[in-house]
Amino acid sequence: MIRLQNIEKVYRTNTVETMALNSISLNVAKGEFLSIMGPSGCGKSTLLNIIGLLDAPSKGEIKIDDQKTDHMSDKQLANFRNKKLGFIFQSYHLINDLKVLDNVELPLLYRTSSGSERKKLASAALEKVGLSNRVKHFPTQLSGGQKQRVAIARAIVGNPEIILADEPTGNLDSAMGNEIMDILQYLNTTEGATIIMVTHDENMAKRTHRLVRLFDGSQVQ
Amino acid sequence: MIKHLFKLIWNKKKQNFLLMTEMLVSFIVMFAIFTLLVYYYQNYNRPIGLDYDNVWNLGYGSPQGMSDADSIANFRESIKQTIISMPQVEGVSFSDANIPYGDANIGTMIAYNKVNWPSEMYTADDNYQKVLNITLNEGRWFSKIDDASREKPIVINETFKERVFGRESAVGKIMSDAAFGKGTMKVIGVMNDMKDKGDYAGPQNGYFRRMDTSNTGGGGIILIKVKPTADAAFESRLYKTLSNLMRNTSIDIKHMDKERTKRNTQLLGPIIVLLIIAGFLIINVALGLFGVLWYNINKRKNEIGLRRAVGASGAGISKQLMGEALVLSTISLLVGAFFAVQFPLLNVFNIASGTYIIAIILDILFIYFLVLVCSLYPGRQAAAIYPAEALHED
Ligand SMILES: Nc1ncnc2c1ncn2[C@@H]1O[C@H](COP(=O)(O)OP(=O)(O)OP(=O)(O)O)[C@@H](O)[C@H]1O
Ligand SMILES: [Mg+2]
Repeated sequence: MIRLQNIEKVYRTNTVETMALNSISLNVAKGEFLSIMGPSGCGKSTLLNIIGLLDAPSKGEIKIDDQKTDHMSDKQLANFRNKKLGFIFQSYHLINDLKVLDNVELPLLYRTSSGSERKKLASAALEKVGLSNRVKHFPTQLSGGQKQRVAIARAIVGNPEIILADEPTGNLDSAMGNEIMDILQYLNTTEGATIIMVTHDENMAKRTHRLVRLFDGSQVQ
Repeated sequence: MIKHLFKLIWNKKKQNFLLMTEMLVSFIVMFAIFTLLVYYYQNYNRPIGLDYDNVWNLGYGSPQGMSDADSIANFRESIKQTIISMPQVEGVSFSDANIPYGDANIGTMIAYNKVNWPSEMYTADDNYQKVLNITLNEGRWFSKIDDASREKPIVINETFKERVFGRESAVGKIMSDAAFGKGTMKVIGVMNDMKDKGDYAGPQNGYFRRMDTSNTGGGGIILIKVKPTADAAFESRLYKTLSNLMRNTSIDIKHMDKERTKRNTQLLGPIIVLLIIAGFLIINVALGLFGVLWYNINKRKNEIGLRRAVGASGAGISKQLMGEALVLSTISLLVGAFFAVQFPLLNVFNIASGTYIIAIILDILFIYFLVLVCSLYPGRQAAAIYPAEALHED
């Protein structure tokens, strides 16, 4: 499903060069639930961003669904993300000026779909994460766990094959974290989503199929 | 997507209020400026309606030591004959002080069918029309025939005629002096408007009375149409001759074309100052708009990153930001246009509706242009941000 070959990422600022990723090669199979762990600053987010086509590697090649991505235009990349990928972030990244339902509908706005269709799909996604009773709320009126569930609903509303989650439970207590984890596990087992999750929590990592450890930009496990 | 933009704007109405107020204020200020500019421009384009070239204004004080009408009339006639006999002179006309580009304005009220009309009043003799090459639309100018008429003959200008009589013919209509309440006046002719108050002055009601050359009071002005060959030497000769003739009064000679230029510069000065102020205002507004839009992008970096992640292209982001700015400006413009439209509806300042309408249209285009220009660069900048960078957690 996802193939990384010798990925390297170097950040250059005026004074320093940071090697954020150093020759990472990784294969993720369809339906796999993979977790990535490692100390802070080791390059986990960078790796996830590169897999999610939000950032380009300095070297190396990424294939998703057997499609090479390095020659895609900005528009093609956007389209690709819209159709194939769902994102979940530690700090949720909800738009505070939009109601829950509108937040969830967001990915569908970048496709051709009717308003009623969008509403139907968004409601269904919210139902899956157990938030049907909060559609008219604004994000600021929700708890952290609820916000993350909205973010999950938004990630799955377009029915992507791959879900990328960067510390989705990082801001939540363990009970809430477990609830989020339950949802992700459900999406993986029942709906067949391929999931890559960055986490700091060994317990969460244990609930996934496979663990990749990074240290200082290199894969150590 | 439009609906989405509206939702977003509506939910952020508090933040957007300031920006919209700024747009609204700029619209209103620019409306005033555009109205003035359009007004001046339209006036400038109206025909001048008189021939000021080679016309000299000879001002003279009241003739002293003469009290009976006959001797004054004779005195004036002899001056006229003296001037007209000079080979460089083509025509001579007596007028009161209210001559084109002069310093005098004489306003009065005249009535028709019990309705009072404010009007500029001029007093001139039978030769005035020829000296200034004024064209008539209807009827005739003053002549000897009027010596015998019971009513005082008057010639009104086209603007006045249209306002009072509309499409009807004005010749033969009887009007009355509303300011002094005495005497009836008969319209004998309708002349084309003359822009005697300067090239940028607007149309104004005006009428001419026939000059009574035996009038004992006051001085006046003699308009002298000279040949193009008339030079400074001739001018000094003329001056000497007339000084001798009118020994008891002072005289001076001015050139009408120079007076016109003077008058125009007097009016142009304030316009230029206004334009400079407007220029600064525009720069200010543009910087303000630019600043707010620029600030928006930085404040909304996370939102931009997220939209990029869920499928917006860079161009899509840029379009969205510009779309928001355009929706905001459209709302402001609608409010502004509502106020601006009251001016032609209520006929404020006696300016033609068309002038206001053109000003409103220009103003709308201008504000849109300004918003577009000011959001272009911030929009581009937003489009260029890498999604990963925009999503960076801080
Ligand atoms: N935009 C950037 N410019 C320069 N350096 C960067 C940039 N983004 C990340 N880095 C550097 O790259 C390295 C990897 O960062 P990354 O965010 O991937 O770490 P991480 O493993 O996700 O850490 P954390 O667990 O704290 O989220 C760090 O040293 C970081 O300072
Ligand atoms: Mg990280």
